[in-house]
Amino acid sequence: MLATVLTLIGRRVLLSFLILFIVSVLLFIVLRALPVDPAAMSLPPNATVAEIEAKRHEMGLDLSLPQQYLIWLSHAVSGDLGNSIQFRRGVLGLVASTLPATIELAVLAMLVASLLGLAGGLALFHVRGTAKEPALDLGTVILLSLPEFLWALFFILVVGVALRWLPFTGRIDPDMRLPVTTGFLLIDSWIAGRPDIFRSAIEHLILPSLALGIAFSPAIMRVLRSSLIDVYQEDYIHLARLRGLGEKHILIRHALKNAILPTLSLMGVQFGFLFGGTLLVELIFSYPGLGNLMVDAVRNADLPIIQAVGLTYCIVVLSINTIVDSLYVILNPKLRLR
Amino acid sequence: MTAAIDRRTLMQLLGLGAAGGATLGLLWPAAAQQADAVTIGWPSDVPSWDPNQRFTPEAQHIYKLVFDQPLDQDPKLALVPALIKTWDMAADGKSLKVELRDDVVFHDGAKMTTEDFRYTFFERIKAGHAVDTKNSWRNVSDIEISSPTQCIVKFSAPAVTAPQWLAFMGSFVVPKKYMESVGVEKFREKPIGSGPYKLVDYQLNTRMVLERNEQYWGPKPKLKRVTIEIIKDPSARVAALQSGQIDLTINVPVREVVRLEREPTLAGEINPITRVMLLQCRNDQGFADQNIRLAAHHAIDKAALSKAFFNNAAVPLSVPVTPGTPGFPADYKFAYDPDKAKALLAKSGFDMNKPAKITFGSTNGQFPSDYDIARAIQQMWKKVGIDAELETIEYAKYFELNRGGKLPDAMLYSWDNATGDPEIFAGYLLNTKMPFSAFKDPVVGDKIAPLFGVTDYQARIQGYKDVVKFAVDYGATIPLLQSVQTVVRKKKLNYEKFGNGWVLANTMSWS
Repeated sequence: MLATVLTLIGRRVLLSFLILFIVSVLLFIVLRALPVDPAAMSLPPNATVAEIEAKRHEMGLDLSLPQQYLIWLSHAVSGDLGNSIQFRRGVLGLVASTLPATIELAVLAMLVASLLGLAGGLALFHVRGTAKEPALDLGTVILLSLPEFLWALFFILVVGVALRWLPFTGRIDPDMRLPVTTGFLLIDSWIAGRPDIFRSAIEHLILPSLALGIAFSPAIMRVLRSSLIDVYQEDYIHLARLRGLGEKHILIRHALKNAILPTLSLMGVQFGFLFGGTLLVELIFSYPGLGNLMVDAVRNADLPIIQAVGLTYCIVVLSINTIVDSLYVILNPKLRLR
Repeated sequence: MTAAIDRRTLMQLLGLGAAGGATLGLLWPAAAQQADAVTIGWPSDVPSWDPNQRFTPEAQHIYKLVFDQPLDQDPKLALVPALIKTWDMAADGKSLKVELRDDVVFHDGAKMTTEDFRYTFFERIKAGHAVDTKNSWRNVSDIEISSPTQCIVKFSAPAVTAPQWLAFMGSFVVPKKYMESVGVEKFREKPIGSGPYKLVDYQLNTRMVLERNEQYWGPKPKLKRVTIEIIKDPSARVAALQSGQIDLTINVPVREVVRLEREPTLAGEINPITRVMLLQCRNDQGFADQNIRLAAHHAIDKAALSKAFFNNAAVPLSVPVTPGTPGFPADYKFAYDPDKAKALLAKSGFDMNKPAKITFGSTNGQFPSDYDIARAIQQMWKKVGIDAELETIEYAKYFELNRGGKLPDAMLYSWDNATGDPEIFAGYLLNTKMPFSAFKDPVVGDKIAPLFGVTDYQARIQGYKDVVKFAVDYGATIPLLQSVQTVVRKKKLNYEKFGNGWVLANTMSWS
């Protein structure tokens, strides 16, 4: 099994490089085609036209597009993604300092989405054919139609402003300090032996991850319900019943194990969308992650950051897909035989 | 699942949410408030902690807490001594003699001297540091030091607004020894200034925590600790204020200020500042005809715009200069006169049935109500016989479009000038040698260029008063309104209002 998984990962990694290359070319072309002038944006208001021209030359913007791309690529492969126009700092450092916050949020949100999705899917399956089914179905439709930003607003209004139960800005309380080790606050607080900061980080993560997770849970619920219904038509379920196994045992040991495969596949796709959804949620909750950085970059036409963040999103999505595909192979014996 | 939402809808929903929260009546006394501390919700982070590096208006408020400027401005924007005790500009505008205070120390205890001043305004630029000050101080040919407190700044060309620039963007004195010993990168990570507060904690795009500098040479701030939370969305800032997470915030929608003023514990203000909203005009295509440009100006009811979008707080402008600043010609008015607009259009053969067609651009979300203002103007023009095709243009695209001659005939634009000096209003906005002016006819630009070398203050100011009147009468620009800055705060928190919109924590106190 290990060899199959490793082969799959190997193929995936090779394919990922090709996809990454194509995405980088597309991103480069799209960003250069925008009618923005990074040279003018990088200079102060009293810059003259001549100074802007000089800056354009210095930035290589007067070269042909392929030449510009090759220069960018040669730097990128050595880890230099250029300097931010706005911050005048290395883009790689900026991305590296904000990515852990977004990963932390996305993972927690995915956990929320998965738990709610699995619980909801089981509940939907459980009430199938009963009078409760239409009501629960309607519930999932409502959940499905409410996007993450509406949940964010709801939680800020009710839990943050009215009840004041939880904070809704930043990552930890203002009076807390923590040396950066990994950038993941939940890990760094444990390394530093600071459970108070761990608690604060969790408190700050609850509302944004709920907003993001709830919005993505209905799809998981519905797919799991459908998969379970399909699985329960299979002969081995009938055989299990004939063997006298209890319904709980059948569900957990036989049905769920098989029904989870399409759900897992969906969750992989969902994680990609969810990662993209952090952009708006981070903005609303003033959460200092990659999305917030991207919003700033777009506002300031900071092309090097936009390019780097775009590629980072691409890498994350490709990585998640590889992990999910590997899990798929591990969980599905049929695929290992191919 | 990831349904699209535009900024307007988002803000409306957040505002609605915050309003709902307030009406629930579940709010209890503020949590952020402490007797000697304040928490401020700020709309943007600093681009870096090198204050000379990037000219960002909203960062100046923060830099002024940690760093000092050679000169300062009082609330009415008059230049006042700061690190510089006295200054004297030579008659030819090519040298500036300055005397620094001798009691200023940086946060590390090192004394601030003319060496630091020279390093900031000359040596860093010559050394090729990536700083915006290299543009504002490009004409500095040397700074001759005669003592630790006295020096002469030499310019290669007349720099008549150098004193104003010493109190303007990016002009913060940095410690030479410290910066040279740790390097620029480390300085950005652990900045040291001589300002009223020391930076004790900073998290990118999140917050900064400042503590009072007990060795400060100037008036000691009343508040010992200042926390600045970076909250980019205006309505999220309102929600944070209502939930007690912050004590003061700026730049929230005008309608939110009006609503929040009704709350017993909050106070809201809509303050006119030294920022203008105007239409940048081309001198060709649909606006080649002066009659059409002037008709477009006469057709705009600026008072109605102020009433509709700024609760009457934004002052209608006839010139691209704000009232109360030196270059404002108080005697000049450009009338709102739709009949005159129709008559001018008729002269050029246009009327309601055969409207003049122009292109019109506006940002959307760059400044308060920008796109709504553009749509209102579009309707006003329609009533006199101007058919404007409105398009949204990102602020970041302005320069590229202007450079390529692709800006629309009229473009809604906002211009900030904390100094209030007319050079940084008309001198930049209508100067064809700078990248802002869409009006390329040299008839205006040629009148402005010589003013950059006029050393006599009164003559220079009068020159700008004359040129802005000429530019408006010529149809080179269509000024609209003086911008406003909104501030919402806990009622018991006091702060000093500045004409340029500075909101400085070192002027704050609790009552």
